[in-house]
Amino acid sequence: MEPVLDNLDLYVSGFWRSLEIVLWAAAGSLALGILLAAFRVSPVPVLQRLGALYVATIRNTPLTIVLFFFAFGVPAAFGVTWDFFALGTVGLVVYTAAFVCESVRSGVNAVDAGQAEAARALGLTFRQNLSLVVLPQALRTVVPPTGSVIIAMIKNSAVVGAIGVSGDLFSAYRRMASALGYERLPSIAGTAVGFLVMTLTAGAILMVVERRMAVSR
Amino acid sequence: MLRRVTTPEGGATGRTPTSREPLVVMSGVDKHFGDLHVLKGVDLVVGRGEVLVVIGPSGSGKSTLCRTINRLESIDGGSITIDGAELPAEGKELARLRSDVGMVFQSFNLFAHKTVLENVTLGPTKVRGVKKADADRRGRELLERVGVGHQADKYPAQLSGGQQQRVAIARALAMEPKVILFDEPTSALDPEMISEVLDVMTDLATSGMTMVVVTHEMGFARKAADRVVFMADGELVEQADPETFFTAPRSPRAQDFLSKIFTH
Amino acid sequence: MRTRSLTLAAGLATGALVLAGCGGDDSGSGGSETEPTVAEAPEFAEGTTMAEIAEAGSMTIGTKFDQPGFGLQGLDETPDGFDVRIAEYIAGQMGIAPEDITWTEAPSAQREELLENGDVEMVVATYTINDERRERITFAGPYYVAGQQILVASDNDVIAGPEDLADNPDQVVCSVTGSTPAENIREYLASPGQLVEFGIYDDCISALDNGQVQAVTTDNVILTGFVAGSEGAYKLVGEQFTEEPYGIGIEKGDVEFCEFVNEALQEAADSGYYEEAWTATAGQFEGTEVPDLPEPDECV
Repeated sequence: MEPVLDNLDLYVSGFWRSLEIVLWAAAGSLALGILLAAFRVSPVPVLQRLGALYVATIRNTPLTIVLFFFAFGVPAAFGVTWDFFALGTVGLVVYTAAFVCESVRSGVNAVDAGQAEAARALGLTFRQNLSLVVLPQALRTVVPPTGSVIIAMIKNSAVVGAIGVSGDLFSAYRRMASALGYERLPSIAGTAVGFLVMTLTAGAILMVVERRMAVSR
Repeated sequence: MLRRVTTPEGGATGRTPTSREPLVVMSGVDKHFGDLHVLKGVDLVVGRGEVLVVIGPSGSGKSTLCRTINRLESIDGGSITIDGAELPAEGKELARLRSDVGMVFQSFNLFAHKTVLENVTLGPTKVRGVKKADADRRGRELLERVGVGHQADKYPAQLSGGQQQRVAIARALAMEPKVILFDEPTSALDPEMISEVLDVMTDLATSGMTMVVVTHEMGFARKAADRVVFMADGELVEQADPETFFTAPRSPRAQDFLSKIFTH
Repeated sequence: MRTRSLTLAAGLATGALVLAGCGGDDSGSGGSETEPTVAEAPEFAEGTTMAEIAEAGSMTIGTKFDQPGFGLQGLDETPDGFDVRIAEYIAGQMGIAPEDITWTEAPSAQREELLENGDVEMVVATYTINDERRERITFAGPYYVAGQQILVASDNDVIAGPEDLADNPDQVVCSVTGSTPAENIREYLASPGQLVEFGIYDDCISALDNGQVQAVTTDNVILTGFVAGSEGAYKLVGEQFTEEPYGIGIEKGDVEFCEFVNEALQEAADSGYYEEAWTATAGQFEGTEVPDLPEPDECV
């Protein structure tokens, strides 16, 4: 582990860069995923189909293709000149949102239909119905699978380093092993530890949230 | 409370639909579930202040009829108006109209993640925009009225079925609706809890609330109804005041139905 | 089915060669102007490599087939470029005419093996001299010093060299992840975020086309290839800011042959052939400068 300790600043700055990607992507994919799930359970057929199409397309496309599409396809087609950090993060959001959508939707479906019906009968709008009645109850079933989706996303964020984002945790490994000529095993181990810190922390937060929800009610 | 007390607008003669101001008007309502024709051109008028009981064998379409009135079920043909306004398609307009139509479900459908009091105040605060303090005060009054005042801070799962259904009635009342729909409100209850719910409903009928009640409780129909509608195979077969209906049903199908019920 | 797919593959390969040939024409059309002098019946000491080759009347040389400006195979299956011209001159000094040379492709990873196995007598293939390789083979030369440079779009007038990067933090530079050029450029940047890294240079070029990066940096030889294929869309700017000497690989320990090659290189420079060869090949691309023949290393 000596090479890692000698270049600890490289890994530490890589960790913060990766964490930045992960936090943005988590916030974005949760927001977009919940919106998509709302589309899929909405009473409007057009929105339902839109949501279903999104999930079918994105969920069945390899992540690297989605990322390269955002890195090169979108800029070429629409003249967008965002930096690769933004493009990569957006790509990760778009990809992860499909999975968040499905875990939220399955949670919503697990809520008894009578709950939504009673809310409708009271005169709540679709949005109120979702936000006040259905989603709060879906939350308990939604949190564990969504947590898994987010942990998978943290790991997937390593791939963002392959589309131009430099200075992230995975780039740190490649820089160590190729350009700086250190041995590969300790170099990759340092990167692995960085990701473990993120995924294990996410797992711990998830456990606390789950336990909290189990206590209430 | 043994007999229905006459209401100001109703009166003893107010048992025929024509003599009341029409509140719910269904005309030529058609509804299919796939190949099944569940409502066949139903015409029905519910007057203001009227207590209408819908009975009939299972599969007759009576529950569907009830659910079309606040558009929990959409209809394929005909029209339904409430207080003169036609039911709109999905959207804010429909939500507003629904808020004037209370509904009590067979399986209670209390919001499982909210306390009893929150169940009752959710509609007034979120739909009507009533201040929380006012909604709470009114909510506690209503819970008191249906006999579950001391359960206000519990969650629905901690209550018995009968208590839950009474909370559901309070929840509907909190919206001060023009009419309340009861979709087999006692069918999911243990026998010993049925009467506590029926008592509340009878009280309500006495107070002049317009009610459409789908039920198998013939005792309640006799006691509280202004009019009984008998449905079979998606059609209104017969309607009459309860006395006439239960003692001298005209149609063979109603006779058959009643004979089966009362031999048990 | 099998025959058909083979035919298809052959067709694709031909297509690729046609494309490659187009680039080759650009870089090598001046071939006839700089014919190497072919010595008539040169005399060499008995037992030397030169004597053996002269007696055989032909020789086999390894070079790159895919490096525009240095060694790129054209339609006639003969490669052309600066490396090829240099090799032809050396062969000529042993009485071998260009048509008597057999060219063998020498990809980077196979160059030492080709020499060790005796498959080729000489390798001239953008072959950077370093101590690790000297363990296995002997280098004559160097005949050229490559170095890291910067490629930008032709209309870019902001970046004229690596020094301009720090003053223009909005000008993003791209290189290959974990590569030495990526490492070298870091000291010139305003912030680490000014460097973008991809797995291959083609992705850097795509990003340049999209306007997502404004510069690409690596060895000038690789960049020259992209300039060659761009029809004027790109140019090289600034001086080379690193040094990579290219040598001529021969069998390990053949000091006599090494010294002969060094003399031949000197003659090529003195006669003007070296400059002409450069101008006709790699020198055709904007941003390249005519090099001087570097001082030879000691033959070991």
